[in-house]
Amino acid sequence: MTTTERWDLRLYTAGQSPKSLAALSNLKRICDEHLPGRYSIEVIDLMKNPRLAKDDEIVAIPTLVRKLPEPLRRIIGDLSNEERALVGLQLRPHKGEAA
Amino acid sequence: MKHNPTESDELRRAITEGEVDAFVVGNESNRRVLLLATAYQRYRQLVERMAQGAVTVTAQGSILYVNQRFADMLGIPLAQLYTAPLEAYVGMGDRARLSSFLMLSTRNSQLELALSRRDGEQLPVRLSLATYADGYATLLVTDLRPMQWPSLTVDALDSIRDSLEKLNHGAPGKDAAAREALDRISEEINGLARMIDEMLDVEGRPEAR
Repeated sequence: MTTTERWDLRLYTAGQSPKSLAALSNLKRICDEHLPGRYSIEVIDLMKNPRLAKDDEIVAIPTLVRKLPEPLRRIIGDLSNEERALVGLQLRPHKGEAA
Repeated sequence: MKHNPTESDELRRAITEGEVDAFVVGNESNRRVLLLATAYQRYRQLVERMAQGAVTVTAQGSILYVNQRFADMLGIPLAQLYTAPLEAYVGMGDRARLSSFLMLSTRNSQLELALSRRDGEQLPVRLSLATYADGYATLLVTDLRPMQWPSLTVDALDSIRDSLEKLNHGAPGKDAAAREALDRISEEINGLARMIDEMLDVEGRPEAR
């Protein structure tokens, strides 16, 4: 990962559900800390348009999809466990993997 | 489901640890979202249908949720508002007051300020702190401009007046003209009723028999 590449993230939410709010809040905090100035977050409210779930095969909400950098990654849940979220986004190597 | 085993494990973990609160169910032609808490679903319907704006922010003022009414007040597409700082849509002179309000307010506290619309217009509003939970504040936003009757309504009333005059001055025995005028009045009144319903945001009401 280079320090200049853009991160395009898409968060699927269900309106104002508690887990959706938590996921967006946690995601913004993680991005501000680890990807300052080089990320974009697109929020898709599936309560408004459930058909959009098809695009990324969403089954549970909230789900975060990392569109860029490739490969595409999906993280299910409210991102309350920051360590797990960082590993899921590949911002931090999984334990046992080389850095 | 095309999720690979790793993603299935991830899904199972997220469910068992209570990190999800909704699921997408149904098939290709009829997808819908199933919320785990039905009480929340009723609350959400209220928030989406009410005539006031609603916005949920973090303690730092980042927008986590807005209803369509709030986006309409600003004249900005709803999707652009997520994660943006609320203060960006408040007049410069009101930003410090907003910041204090978010930090210090208790439930039902109110603050009047001006929102900066995309077209540059300042919109006077009243913010009311509806809930404060888990570090998030939900604000209700009331438009303080005087109620404006749409010009369409005024036109409709003029039209009713014309029809009544026709009826009053019509030659006696001209039943067809009278019926036509009455039909016209009935049509206009129905139109007015529909408009008032829309203004009051009344949805899902059983149809009149």
